[in-house]
Amino acid sequence: MSRDVIVLGAGSAGLAAAVTAAREGAQVTLLERHGYAGGMGTASLVHTFCGLYRMGEGPPVMANPGFPAEMAGRMLASTGDGGPVKMGRVWVLRQHPVDFVRIADELLRESGIEVIYHAEAFKAGREGGLWAVDYACRGQIRRLEGKTVVDASGDAVLAGLLDGASYQAEPAKLQRPAYVFGVQGVIEGEQGLALAGRIVDGIRRGVLSQAALGLHFRASGRAGELFGTIDLSGAEEGDYDPLDGACLSRLEEVGRSVAGAAVDFLKGEAGGWGGAYISHWPVRAGVRESRRWQGRYRLTGDEVLGGVRHADDIALAAWPLEFRETNRGPKLRYPDGDRAAGIPLGCLQPVAPEGIFTAGRCISCDHDAQASVRVMGTCFATGQAAGLAAVLAARGEPVEGLPARLEARFGPLE
Amino acid sequence: MNQVPTAENVVEMLRDEGIAELAVDFPADGNLFDAGMDSMAVMQLIVVAEERFGAVIGPADAGRENLETPAALARLIASKVP
Repeated sequence: MSRDVIVLGAGSAGLAAAVTAAREGAQVTLLERHGYAGGMGTASLVHTFCGLYRMGEGPPVMANPGFPAEMAGRMLASTGDGGPVKMGRVWVLRQHPVDFVRIADELLRESGIEVIYHAEAFKAGREGGLWAVDYACRGQIRRLEGKTVVDASGDAVLAGLLDGASYQAEPAKLQRPAYVFGVQGVIEGEQGLALAGRIVDGIRRGVLSQAALGLHFRASGRAGELFGTIDLSGAEEGDYDPLDGACLSRLEEVGRSVAGAAVDFLKGEAGGWGGAYISHWPVRAGVRESRRWQGRYRLTGDEVLGGVRHADDIALAAWPLEFRETNRGPKLRYPDGDRAAGIPLGCLQPVAPEGIFTAGRCISCDHDAQASVRVMGTCFATGQAAGLAAVLAARGEPVEGLPARLEARFGPLE
Repeated sequence: MNQVPTAENVVEMLRDEGIAELAVDFPADGNLFDAGMDSMAVMQLIVVAEERFGAVIGPADAGRENLETPAALARLIASKVP
């Protein structure tokens, strides 16, 4: 049986793409390597939706219409949070990974998508005018056929399988990965600046390693629960390569070891932390940047900083350039006048071949622009656009009409 | 004997080390947290203050009132210089 659209990866972009395509009446199959959707926002415990709201002064206003706004609404209804909060100069929405999984389940069920979890694509090619994607599940090999494919794998996995044109920043420049874990049992515990001072004190005394520098905790919104986040250097031994299994394995091990030592230390020394324990490991460390498709258009960091718009924009990049090139905290660069740049259609279209679209953090852009567009709020928006683009292509309609179709369906950009 | 920093030295240190992105003429009583300094940046700050001035800032000193402005930080560092 062939379907209209195959979506690779059920993270924020893949979920948006699959749901949007299915709501257009397309037959959609979504392939996901974990047992639930949400990607970075669930498996890697990233607990903040960034890029949902316009930048600048004033109250929070959604930057992109359609799926991003729907996700924000569903998340608020699920967590019971009062609304977005200001983090520095920008509005963000706190999200909970457990809620995200349930919301994704509802969305996927409601829109009649065939979801295949525990599946990893390992081969793809053209066959009889269709795309054939082979995937493995526990030693069983199966084939999917579809008219179009959306690569929302985050790592441009399809580009790897098809030997498609792609690029990746040099190891030293790649955004460092985040390691997020859950903590419970802290009762009115020391936090914020005092906790930061305490951790540095632990490093100074040699109880904690240098890797704990930058570890910070945020309330999850659930009673007594925190998330700890460490930016890892990624280069514990050798160069950081987020596509290399051995390198990723070291990351996981280092993340757990730093987190474990830090919580043990705080249990003994920080007020209110006596009963603290790690309640949640991530399924995987949060890779921020890896391989990207080379598309018909390559968005640059200068364009994002200039708030540049294009005639064929399909989404807005409403997040500053957030650099994490070292594990010494974020460096933010804001666009001129806080104007959101547009992401044109060509960023979702690989230079070749036809019938493939990409969305999320592996769209076609340079390293600097990726520091803005990688966030989940923007991934919802590029995912939505790629889902609709895939439907147009599957029906033989011109994809160039996508911006107008998006506007007719969801409303104008800004 | 370590040198005692002025508020200007503190601004220079924060800029040089990329701890906070400040204008060259950032005022001595300007709010560093409003300028984007967060708890992660404070960790860097504590490490750098020790490297540069030998000032050991402990957990009890890491309060907003001591860290909020270049002037307050200069006073804190001066009081911690051995």
